[in-house]
Amino acid sequence: MDEGNELRKFGGASQYVLDDELAEIVNISIALEMPLLLKGEPGTGKTMLAHAIAEALNMRLIVLNVKSSMKLIEALYQYDTLTRLNDSRFGDSTRDVSNIEEYIRMGKIGQSFVTDEKVVLLIDEIDKADTDFQDDMLDILDQMEFDIIEIDKTTAAQHRPIVIITSNAKKDLSDPFLGRCNFHHIAFPDPDMMRNIVQVHFPDVDRELLDSALQTFYRLREIKNVEKKPATRELINWIRALKADPDFRVKDLIKGQVPFLGVLFKKSPDYFVAQKSVSHFKI
Amino acid sequence: MFVDFFYTLRKVGIPVTPTAFLRLQKALGMGLINSVDDFYTAARAILVKSERYFDLYDQVFAHQFQGVELKEPSKSELSEIARALLEEWLQHPQLLADFLGIDESELGKLSPKELMKYFLDRLKEQTEAHHGGSKWIGTGGTSPVGHSGYHPGGMRVGGVSRNKSAVKVAMDRRYRDYSQEGPLTQSQMGEALKRLRNMVPVGPKDRINIDKTIYQTVKNAGEIEIVFDRSIKDRLKVILVIDNGGWSMEPYVDVVQTLFNYTRAQFKDLRIFFFHNTIYKYFWEDPQRYYKPYPVDELVRLDPETRFIIVGDASMAPYELSARDGSIYFEGRSGKPSIERLHFIADTFPHSVWLNPVSAYEWKYTYTIGAIRQIFPMFELTLDGLGKAVAQMMRKN
Repeated sequence: MDEGNELRKFGGASQYVLDDELAEIVNISIALEMPLLLKGEPGTGKTMLAHAIAEALNMRLIVLNVKSSMKLIEALYQYDTLTRLNDSRFGDSTRDVSNIEEYIRMGKIGQSFVTDEKVVLLIDEIDKADTDFQDDMLDILDQMEFDIIEIDKTTAAQHRPIVIITSNAKKDLSDPFLGRCNFHHIAFPDPDMMRNIVQVHFPDVDRELLDSALQTFYRLREIKNVEKKPATRELINWIRALKADPDFRVKDLIKGQVPFLGVLFKKSPDYFVAQKSVSHFKI
Repeated sequence: MFVDFFYTLRKVGIPVTPTAFLRLQKALGMGLINSVDDFYTAARAILVKSERYFDLYDQVFAHQFQGVELKEPSKSELSEIARALLEEWLQHPQLLADFLGIDESELGKLSPKELMKYFLDRLKEQTEAHHGGSKWIGTGGTSPVGHSGYHPGGMRVGGVSRNKSAVKVAMDRRYRDYSQEGPLTQSQMGEALKRLRNMVPVGPKDRINIDKTIYQTVKNAGEIEIVFDRSIKDRLKVILVIDNGGWSMEPYVDVVQTLFNYTRAQFKDLRIFFFHNTIYKYFWEDPQRYYKPYPVDELVRLDPETRFIIVGDASMAPYELSARDGSIYFEGRSGKPSIERLHFIADTFPHSVWLNPVSAYEWKYTYTIGAIRQIFPMFELTLDGLGKAVAQMMRKN
């Protein structure tokens, strides 16, 4: 397994803090050439992982953002009938109207198959689409090939892409689908991990600020009845805001004041709940 | 041993497939897995496909590679292990004394409690990997504790490496939150209800219908005529009727609230009514059940395709359901027993279900639950039950 060993290099990227467990899983999935399904709360870095892998292994990243109405075929290829119709009517293009192949456009999955290089394919938030979408994808993940019906051609992956699939849902995807993936659930980072993550983004962050910010952040996450808990992204933006505010003093946090609460809680009911709880923080 | 592991996983209810197991073997064969930690991680990624089973997996892993009893009492498992270790040592006082670096005679002076503390302290102090030594707890060492030590009566603690050993990680049961026993959260509920949809074409005509376009174009002798369609959107009507009265519903307020919040956010065309215990002539649009009564008979005017969801414990005195003037409130008495009203609703809305927060195994002890089950398909208000209820409501017939 020369290739496998070579690929085992993945160990984090410049903007991504990786825990050992996840690194192990990523490397095993790459070696086994299996898609890796990632689940977890929003803000745990599922999507970022694919970016990090692409950066670390120096590969191109192709992102398929799944939408609720999406059909799998759109992700594979599209037969541009309208252009063909137009060409056949007016005949002013260089395309050969009788050659359907010229009107086939590859979708994101298709692109990842036909490129000459090995790429990272991120299928983001697969749970948004219908279950049909997953079911149709089974064979494609398995065989790494698909048929283009219009021209009766099979497109097979030149190089099996590294497939990362993310899902926000707590619900399971269909069993046959899961059977073809490796699975990992990214837990919300603990304070130590979060400290590393923040330091990656703000290498020069003041230690005192970081300590109190993290402490407040995890305290805020414990507030009950909040629908969307603040996650990593919110924390980073919040620290950015704190740093940018010339009037802000770390002492305020220790005293229990939480400035820029709106950066952390983005839904108005959540905001009010949080505001109420924060008022109890004060000593 | 691995085969055992596989079957134990299956036995506790984790759906592990043979294919996945073979894949794990392949990973082992490729030399990718070099330690217990690797194995823990890799096996979980390959075999276990949902975080709901992580907790069970952790337990099985600890059991298989550590000898932890399955179905532990919920005390700290770590101290359980420590206790077991201690018992083991006490049969070998010499080794224990060596291990702790104290005299055997002094050992006698320590109470079991002190010993235990000593051991736990050591376990805590040790933060780095330690293999092959003779004092600290690690793997391959000669101390009686640790993993793959030569001591015949030794206990394994698991490969202690990185920051936490796999077994210790497993024993932490980090994923307990996600196991199926967990309470129903809003997002889970959302997932279960997501399939409750009724797609109809709405909005502006902005989708090209290729087939019709080609047909029309050909009809026009090649002059292109593009035909547009409306896009398909979800327009499902839902009526949610909630039992919000009486002490019997009190324990379920949280879960019903979650359902309520979710459905309100999810369905655009949603009507919510409240009742107490069972339905008589009216139910109410306001939670106080006072200001805005809604006559049940009016329901006939609504779309029979509406999905009708009743949430309630269906537990009451039998006469409340079947007596002519069964209502405990005077104004509810209308000369028609509640059971007839329920029949009326079930007939009006073929897609109706009753969600009951009471666990299904308790249903048979309450007469009225049985009676109402004859009228409405009843499901537990759990993730599983919600899923089944949705399936029932989406049935074509």
